Amino acid sequence: MENLVTIRPELLGLATVELEALSPHFAVLGGAVLALVLSVVRWLQPKWSVFLVSVATALLGATLSFPGLSGAALAVFNGMMVVDPYSSFFNLIFLLSALITLLISFRYLDSEKLQHPEYYVLVLFSALGMMLMASARELVVLFIALETMSLSVYSLVSFRRADRRANEAAMKYFILGGAASAIMLYGVALVYGATGTTHIQAILERLASRGAGESVLFSVGAWLIVAGFLFKVASVPFHMWMPDVYEGAPVPITGFMTTGLKAAAFAAFVRVFLSLGYGKGLSEAVETNLHHILWVCAVMTMVVGNVIALTQTNLKRILAYSSIAHTGYLMVGLIAAPRGTEGYSSLLVYLAAYAAMNLGAFIVLTLLAGKGDAGLNLHDLSGISKKNPVLAFSMAVFLFSMAGVPPTAGFVAKYLLFYSAVQAGEVPLVIIAVLCSAISVYYYLRVLVYMYMRDPIAGATSARVPVWSVMALASMVIVTLQVGLLPSPLVEMARKAVAGL
Amino acid sequence: MLSVSPVFFYLFAGLAIACSLLVVFKKNPVSSAFSLVLVFFAFAGIYALLDAHLIAAIQILVYAGAVMVLFVFVIMLLNADAPSLDIARTSAALKVAILAGCLAMLAFFVVAFKRMSPPAPLGPYTAEAVEAAGGNTRVISQLMFSEYVLPFELTSVLLLAAIVAVVAIAMRNAKKPGSAGKEA
Repeated sequence: MENLVTIRPELLGLATVELEALSPHFAVLGGAVLALVLSVVRWLQPKWSVFLVSVATALLGATLSFPGLSGAALAVFNGMMVVDPYSSFFNLIFLLSALITLLISFRYLDSEKLQHPEYYVLVLFSALGMMLMASARELVVLFIALETMSLSVYSLVSFRRADRRANEAAMKYFILGGAASAIMLYGVALVYGATGTTHIQAILERLASRGAGESVLFSVGAWLIVAGFLFKVASVPFHMWMPDVYEGAPVPITGFMTTGLKAAAFAAFVRVFLSLGYGKGLSEAVETNLHHILWVCAVMTMVVGNVIALTQTNLKRILAYSSIAHTGYLMVGLIAAPRGTEGYSSLLVYLAAYAAMNLGAFIVLTLLAGKGDAGLNLHDLSGISKKNPVLAFSMAVFLFSMAGVPPTAGFVAKYLLFYSAVQAGEVPLVIIAVLCSAISVYYYLRVLVYMYMRDPIAGATSARVPVWSVMALASMVIVTLQVGLLPSPLVEMARKAVAGL
Repeated sequence: MLSVSPVFFYLFAGLAIACSLLVVFKKNPVSSAFSLVLVFFAFAGIYALLDAHLIAAIQILVYAGAVMVLFVFVIMLLNADAPSLDIARTSAALKVAILAGCLAMLAFFVVAFKRMSPPAPLGPYTAEAVEAAGGNTRVISQLMFSEYVLPFELTSVLLLAAIVAVVAIAMRNAKKPGSAGKEA
């Protein structure tokens, strides 16, 4: 029996190259702590100083993530974390959505009379949690990252303290989210019991070499972990929290949740999914049974999301149910990925495109929202095109993109996703997905009908649009159309990102 | 030691289950909280039977000690005496659904774990290897500061985020909503 080596000082230092690779994480952590300190320095006007520091942090983090897109994978901290093109790709999604969220929040917080500094700090902390989730290669690190993200977001959801719906939403989200985390943690413990390790790579190796995948312990653990993730991505039957939370949260945070949170959950989901041996034929419980379970979940998610969205009249709830529906499409990609030639890259393209168009839609919503998030019913949008043609046009672009109409990012993303699913032989699933997205056109276009074909309601004044929001809005419109017309740079980026998985 | 442990295991397990049920069914939150303390003690006993003495000690110090004191403080400060889920007033259908759910989960785990052979430890941390390296406590503390230093450090980030989150929620209670935004 060999002796255990427990003291390994060499693990405690970081080489220069590792520090460089981790620079986005350090930047965001440092920025968050600096912002926290600044929020108590009264004479510096915390409202402004913290806002500027947070915006600069998100920008800096995104800039530092760029080199990672084409770099080689580098495992740090004894392989617990990896910095590779995959994590850099997601870092960009997280930090850019955090940036946009910060930019549109300033005026929103002012008009809602909410306090500023902690809000920005919490956005940065949740972005840090997301970045760690995308880089984690060890289940304990993954769990801690997940909780860092979730705790910050729970608090952000409850930010409109005076509002009853916000309180209800935050409470619901906190309790259900806590339960889902506990379920996932129990699954992690069982998988550790079955394989003797929590390292994602090592789990896969032990599954392959020792046949641990056949044990009941492993199957139950794997299912529980997947159930935890299904909650985080809000797949049916774990979707009940989502519409209420989306409605109760401040509008910019809802936008952040639909993009950052969803992308983070999928980023970690894919890594763990691979580690459980999906698509490798190692374990029947994962290969066939889990496939069938996910298949049913994907179909239910698409149908329930789209059908319930038809009956909604509040824009936030429409987008919440549409977000559930999009989770369904993403799950189609997840199921099909190991057997298609494109692998997980179509999933990444979809997440990036979805982030752009959804953030855009929420910028418009933030600008339209009245006191206490009123004025977001379909009726309130009547004739917006006459008073505010720019907003109406941008919203139209985002809605067409969500419906998947060319030449927008949504069309390209959906096309790639469904194409890879067809290649993988999931034809019935794709047929259902296409039919569901045909249903979705109805409720997206209904918003357009209200905006363009109704008379303006009397008394409503056109809101003053701040320059930050215009910049954010314009960039999202450009990204949505640009990816729609020239998708190859994004597709190439995504291909590179998944190459090393 | 192995000959006594089954008796003690059933003793502690029975205590844990009975007290957990009390946590749920007691109407008074303070009695629920104290039943939870007993649950934690029973767990500590089970951990000790498994030779995990460090975890047993931590269980008592952290959970039965620190966490429970906080629970009781919160209950007393909030003066929360209204039962939130009164089991006597829930509808019959809900009762049946809850019971069926519990039984289904129990059946699932019984079937799942009956079919399972006890897992052989696959990792390097077998009982003998840990014993040779100086026992559980030494190995855990050494691992925590070398191999598992990343999760250890990240936990402090998590706690910092949690503190900010809690302060952000609590602060608005102290002032009138609105005044905070202008001052800050």
